[in-house]
Amino acid sequence: MARATPKSPKPAALPESSVTQPLAQTGLVPIEKNGEPSAASRFRIFIVDSGWNSAARRVLHENFALIRDLQKEDPIYVLSRERSIEFMRRHGSRIGRDPIIAVHDMQALEKSGTAGFHGFRLSLGLLHTPEQALLGLQAFARFLVTHRNSADLEADIRAGLRREGLTGAIEIVMQHEAREIGV
Amino acid sequence: MLDRFGEVVSLVLGVLAIGYLVYEIDRRQRKLHDIWDVLDGEDAVLTAALEDMVERGELQPFAGAALA
Repeated sequence: MARATPKSPKPAALPESSVTQPLAQTGLVPIEKNGEPSAASRFRIFIVDSGWNSAARRVLHENFALIRDLQKEDPIYVLSRERSIEFMRRHGSRIGRDPIIAVHDMQALEKSGTAGFHGFRLSLGLLHTPEQALLGLQAFARFLVTHRNSADLEADIRAGLRREGLTGAIEIVMQHEAREIGV
Repeated sequence: MLDRFGEVVSLVLGVLAIGYLVYEIDRRQRKLHDIWDVLDGEDAVLTAALEDMVERGELQPFAGAALA
């Protein structure tokens, strides 16, 4: 379990321009490889955050630099607050689940379009404590790095979810038993 | 008689323990699926909208260290 929270030089607020923050305003530059924008990335990462004052949001902001460094190969697109709110209004069932990190698997998109599996989404806002949110972010980064060359990302995700569910349940049972015997 | 009773109690406790484990696994997996979810046909419109914004240049990738 992670104890320390790696931090960016300063906690920052999400940019709030109308669509997305122009690069000139943010001081950020497009990702480039050999002078060319990285068009051949396996993943495209989108962050939707309407701005709830939540632990998950703070954790995301404080660790964004590290996430960025770990995912150098993949472009990260941050929707503005206005655009994120517009998104939430259209998809009301997702209110309160943000920050949401959506990952598009470009390989799957090119192969079969949006009809079938084409990526995954982490609803960070459902993790209510900083520790949970940090673990979620770490799992997200780990998964992307270790599955960059996966031939069947969908199977990997589903297998991972099954395994985590099983492991979690066993942990709970073990903790319950430990409490019962006074450990 | 007591032996029989003990066997029944053990059996019931065993069934309860297995039931609890199955319930816990299912609950955990549902929760995980809420937090981690795959994008499929149900998300087609949203995915297309985001990709469209990228193609139109409305969304630009971040390359800096921190959100500002």
